[in-house]
Amino acid sequence: MPSDVSTVGVIVNPHAGKDVRRLTSGASHVPDATKIGIVRRVIAGAVEAGAQRILLGADRSGLALQAASGLDAPTAALDGPLTSSHLDSVTAAREMWKEDADVVVVLGGDGTCRDVAAGWPNAPMIPISTGTNNVFPCAVDGTSAGVAAGLVATQAVACGDVAIEAKRLVVSVDDTDADTTATESALVDVALVDARFVGARAVTDPRTIVWVVAAIAEPTATGLAAIAGRVEPVGRNEPGGVVVRTGAGGRRVRVPLAPGTFTTLGIESVETLAASTPVVLPGGGMLAFDGERTKAVSASASISVSIEPSGPQVIDVDRTLAIAAAQSRFDVTEVADGH
Amino acid sequence: MTQFDRDVQLDLHRRMVRIRLFEEAAGQLDEAAKLPGFLHLYVGQEAVASGVCAALTDDDQITSNHRGHGHLVAKGGQFNQMMAELMGKSTGYCKGKGGSMHISSLDVGMLGANGIVGAGSTIAVGAGFANKYRNNGHVSATFFGDGASNIGALHEAANMAAALQLPTLFICENNEYGEFTPRDQTMAITDIVDRAAGYGIPGVIVDGMDVVAVHEAAVEAVDRARRGDGPSLIEAKTYRFYNHHGVQNLGLKYRTDDEVEQWKQRDPIFTYEDRLIAADTATRDDVDAVWEELRADIAAAIEFAESSPAPEADQLLVDVYTSTDTAGVAR
Repeated sequence: MPSDVSTVGVIVNPHAGKDVRRLTSGASHVPDATKIGIVRRVIAGAVEAGAQRILLGADRSGLALQAASGLDAPTAALDGPLTSSHLDSVTAAREMWKEDADVVVVLGGDGTCRDVAAGWPNAPMIPISTGTNNVFPCAVDGTSAGVAAGLVATQAVACGDVAIEAKRLVVSVDDTDADTTATESALVDVALVDARFVGARAVTDPRTIVWVVAAIAEPTATGLAAIAGRVEPVGRNEPGGVVVRTGAGGRRVRVPLAPGTFTTLGIESVETLAASTPVVLPGGGMLAFDGERTKAVSASASISVSIEPSGPQVIDVDRTLAIAAAQSRFDVTEVADGH
Repeated sequence: MTQFDRDVQLDLHRRMVRIRLFEEAAGQLDEAAKLPGFLHLYVGQEAVASGVCAALTDDDQITSNHRGHGHLVAKGGQFNQMMAELMGKSTGYCKGKGGSMHISSLDVGMLGANGIVGAGSTIAVGAGFANKYRNNGHVSATFFGDGASNIGALHEAANMAAALQLPTLFICENNEYGEFTPRDQTMAITDIVDRAAGYGIPGVIVDGMDVVAVHEAAVEAVDRARRGDGPSLIEAKTYRFYNHHGVQNLGLKYRTDDEVEQWKQRDPIFTYEDRLIAADTATRDDVDAVWEELRADIAAAIEFAESSPAPEADQLLVDVYTSTDTAGVAR
């Protein structure tokens, strides 16, 4: 529920855009100074659009605080137990939800958006790309993202008119031998890889990829989702997704497994996956969520993946500003700075 | 790289246990006032040296800093000569005249610990230049801390390595403290890797408490360097479990007990052992056997060092200066 005070939240992942893929691919390094600059523009845009409160999620590098420093803006910093891990984004999202934020601007890549969705599953979100593959977030300047966030927070533009509910991959790992069941989720793709260790997290070795289930299978994607997107495209706003089994003997496809890096992959089978219909994968290996090795799965476990229409509400920045312009919401009566 | 063979997985473990045991023994000897000079222990950071050095060969070179035992152990240094050097005995790697902070072994490509913060980086760049000039395919790597990243020599070294596209790895062990000073009091940025773009080289952050993560990044960086694609910067987020020097040092309270304890929960060796066992690479008995075997080696090394003679007085200036002929040319 919207609070009485129009509130924009900002969550920055300081780890985003700095992992091992700067050595293995053409992915850009995203320094803190870039992230701080984006947050400053988000705050300026949100204040310009009338937001009454800007909540800054706690991050281990204090990037949001540094961005707000010296600005004449109604910012408030949220406390959180910092772990210097991905859990900080989860915590920040949960705190935003508790504080009744109307919309959350997220700086990160696919993994960061996944973490925010873990803390606040249906968060109204404007995700800005500062990660590696950036399939889920968009490349939009902080200024316009901030204005869109402010317009939605103040209800100048109705969230329901500009938000699209993203998909969510729900993963259930059932290990009868160990008598455990665990549930995880992802926003772009889930992969089963032949690896024993989390290590540097990113899936960089194409030989290890066994299964990929993609909810966003767009041919323009880079990363694991690109495998599905290049053989059986399913857009982010279409229901369901794609299941790919790699292997020899079938099609061979050129895939950008990371930005600027192409590899040839053998595809054994490709199937579309209807919404809310589980596909069951055999256990054994490591599950990668949104491109990051995360969870070891024993051979005795079974993995169930379904694609549900219950992800974050992603706000369309272009559409939000277009509606505002059509309603002359940028018009004022004060004397013009220029003519 | 996401898959390493079983022998690589076990080798990473063994390297870390060797460092831990050597350092724990050195710490006890220091507490018992059996070591001359300063002692900077590497305990807690074992995954960094082990993950990097396992990606190098004996022909590749490393340079180190004041906290250098771990680097030499990981590069293949022998306990006997190392322990003897720490005790200042003539059987040590530097004949007992270098001690902890100047320990080196050219046999395994360890070009020296270094008491001057940041100075090792320039030596590694020299080695990198020689490797490129000789076209021998070898790689050099320099280990330095977050504090050293603010030293002028480090910037000169990184700039020259980048300008000349030298096969040199810059391994920053960011343990959050320069001696007793928190990183955020000495620099305005959090991630040293943000400086890589300023040199025009790639930089990555890895979890310095995860030896597999470090090794994966190191393998990629070494491959790049050997291909002729130049230097790279790896920032390993890590922590030293003991004080700046010694075990208890001066007893200064510049870190909270809670902070130290949180990092110890992420002990690079014990967490890795759990993963090795979960991955069916090893059993608990297997990993315990490694500790037992190496403990015996350490005990033997202490005995070797204690029973070794100190250098004779007439050895004082031997190996200190390069001898020259009458034309002043080094022989």
